[in-house]
Amino acid sequence: MKKRLKKLNLSRRNFLTGTATLAGIAATASVVPITIANANHSEGKKGLPDFISWKDRDALIVHSDKGIETHRSAIGESLITPNRNIYIRNNMPTMTDEQIGNRMDWKVSIEGVKNPKTFTIAQLQKLGHETMATILQCSGNGRGFFKHKPRGSQWKTGAAACVLWTGVPMKTVVEACGGINSDAVYMTSAGVDHVPTGLDPNKAMIERSVPKKVFKDAMLAWEMNGVPVPNAHGGPLRMVTPGYFGINNVKHLGKVAFTSKESSVKYMKKSYRISPIGKKGSQYPSCWEMPVKSWITRPTDETGTVKAGKVQIVGVAMGGTKKVRSVKVSVDGGGSWKKAKFIGPNLGKYAWRQFVLETDLSACTYNIASLASNGSDKQPELRMENRRGYAHNGWKDHSVNITVV
Amino acid sequence: MKVKTFLLILILWFSSNQTLFADEAKMKKGLEIFNETAACAACHILKAAGSEGNIGPNLDTVSMTIESVTDMVTNGLGVMPAFGEGEILTKEEIDIVSYYVVNAAGK
Repeated sequence: MKKRLKKLNLSRRNFLTGTATLAGIAATASVVPITIANANHSEGKKGLPDFISWKDRDALIVHSDKGIETHRSAIGESLITPNRNIYIRNNMPTMTDEQIGNRMDWKVSIEGVKNPKTFTIAQLQKLGHETMATILQCSGNGRGFFKHKPRGSQWKTGAAACVLWTGVPMKTVVEACGGINSDAVYMTSAGVDHVPTGLDPNKAMIERSVPKKVFKDAMLAWEMNGVPVPNAHGGPLRMVTPGYFGINNVKHLGKVAFTSKESSVKYMKKSYRISPIGKKGSQYPSCWEMPVKSWITRPTDETGTVKAGKVQIVGVAMGGTKKVRSVKVSVDGGGSWKKAKFIGPNLGKYAWRQFVLETDLSACTYNIASLASNGSDKQPELRMENRRGYAHNGWKDHSVNITVV
Repeated sequence: MKVKTFLLILILWFSSNQTLFADEAKMKKGLEIFNETAACAACHILKAAGSEGNIGPNLDTVSMTIESVTDMVTNGLGVMPAFGEGEILTKEEIDIVSYYVVNAAGK
């Protein structure tokens, strides 16, 4: 068939001729300097977009230029996930160095406190320093296991990472602002990565409210695994909400407000709601606290066949907002379970623990599963069916099949 | 017998060309919806359409099916509008633009 191309005329007039409903997006898109908007998103040298060309292509599964997953076996065995292996899930285009400017001059305003203030990163660094480990996990991690094929990236296990953050505790910032206003119910964090796009903030701004109590362990982080927070991961300043799904860890942070109501933007009100299949709405729970979860990282079907004899089965386990207490491993698809041993240092309840079970396996095929508990909750066998494929922690889908020879 | 075979070949040729024409018309209409009616181009890269939007995923890098694109266009996702709601696009237009995107992506 003869290819007929009609080249797009990226003029204001062209966009403004869109439908009335789309006029907002269209009009604003028309004023985006295209060279800037695309500066960091052309095809990278290694099949990765330019803005993350520094990542390890071999460790990653590319779903799209904005949805990139870590291979199950590339999580690593040193507890902390290296930046070059960490997944990417960005709702807005990653801000460029030009858009960010001098990192030390980046500003964040604190509102809903006795004395509202705006701090630069340089000023935050004079307030206090702390380092903590938390798990970053996309709300849809595990979506690829849902049979009804929910929209969005089909993540299996790799939209998750364990990260060391350095920054100032939110508690310290609140103290510097004279304390939280008495009517506050939520801590609401807003990113500014929508600003260069010119899109309607109500539709594009990543503004997320979480229960106020989260501030006690939250952090404004400027460093991630020993380097300034990369732009692709929300630098130069990111809100860290330990134990809460990735979306609440707002990137390119511009404002934190203690509010009496949840944010009314689309990303709070409509998106990231855990609703039954076929239903949607803000009456359903938001993607907030992560549930207890674990999975095997080695051996897997990615690591090839396994030699018969002693086999070390390794994985990661997280307790959500509580400390993970125990992990059991099954090599017969959940028929029987053995307690695994935690290894490596304990970096606190918000980090994951790695575990190992040494066992003897003869030549055969095995279904290996892990089941974690945080003392109050343990992983269910099956996924919780929901419209968008969020919060999957069922152990059965996360199991792996291996061949021992 | 020869006449029958000739007629059969003629019918097959004619019907296959009809499909070809129909496909080409669909692709042309799909491009129009992509670039103008729905302004998908404002937010997505799709080389075949000459578009360079950088809000949503680069459509030349996404693995997709007509079903998955139809679902996405109809119901939206995040900042992407639900084109099936509020009569932004008709069902027929959604079908056409979804067919177009899947067949134009990566080319």
